[in-house]
Amino acid sequence: MGIFTSLNISASALQAQRTRLDTISSNMANAETTRTPQGGPYQRKMVVFESQQMSFADHLSSRSNRAISGVRVSNIAVDNREPKLVYDPQHPDADDRGYVAMPDIDILKETTDMMMATRAYEANITTIKSAKRMALKALEIGK
Amino acid sequence: MLGNGLVDKTALLLKKTLDLRMQNQQVIAGNVANAQTPGYKAQRLEFDKALRQAVDGQGHDVSVTHPNHISSHGGAVARVEATVSEVKGTGALGDGNTVSVDQEMILLAQNQLMYEASAQLLSKKMSIIKYVVQGN
Repeated sequence: MGIFTSLNISASALQAQRTRLDTISSNMANAETTRTPQGGPYQRKMVVFESQQMSFADHLSSRSNRAISGVRVSNIAVDNREPKLVYDPQHPDADDRGYVAMPDIDILKETTDMMMATRAYEANITTIKSAKRMALKALEIGK
Repeated sequence: MLGNGLVDKTALLLKKTLDLRMQNQQVIAGNVANAQTPGYKAQRLEFDKALRQAVDGQGHDVSVTHPNHISSHGGAVARVEATVSEVKGTGALGDGNTVSVDQEMILLAQNQLMYEASAQLLSKKMSIIKYVVQGN
């Protein structure tokens, strides 16, 4: 409760958005990866956000605090889309007909996702700055 | 002289306002953090009405025996509890999330300004007392 609750909430969001950005980077980097430890082409990953209650102490301290929640990545889901087939007979992973199974990753979609993650990150930074300013202002009382 | 000097009604009201604004800041932080959580409903902290009632309804405090007395713990004003409501709707993307980051940013700025204004007022009040105590 108090000054740090707000910071903890925003910090949870920063971490979640960073994980999202990591996932997007992984998708972009592996847009043309045909070999993975699991076998087959790379499959697109995506984060699933879930609101998260803050600490138990916060939960107990006040009734209205129950409504306040941070965010966390509940899991990184795998997109089970069929790989897209690209005709490239020279490719070592091409099948008998000359088609290569490539991950079906839309770079445009990844880019917009990335922008959204960045903006969300910035919005949370603004919240942190605001909380910090308020706390500093409170310290000035009585000076 | 506690009632008229160091901790008067205004100071207690300002103290309560600071508490409520800090709480509001947390609610807004929660909203911004969950701006992309599917199904999350934006939360709003409401205290204006309750605070107004507490300020207007003077002397309804059980621990006060005289209408001109002010209890040291702040009485009705200190007991004001903010309520949290949800923003209904389906949201812009249809994922059930009703957070609008722009609106949250405005509320955040507004809340911060009001907090700083209250802190400033309290500071001024303190400096008046300090002035009187020091005698110069």
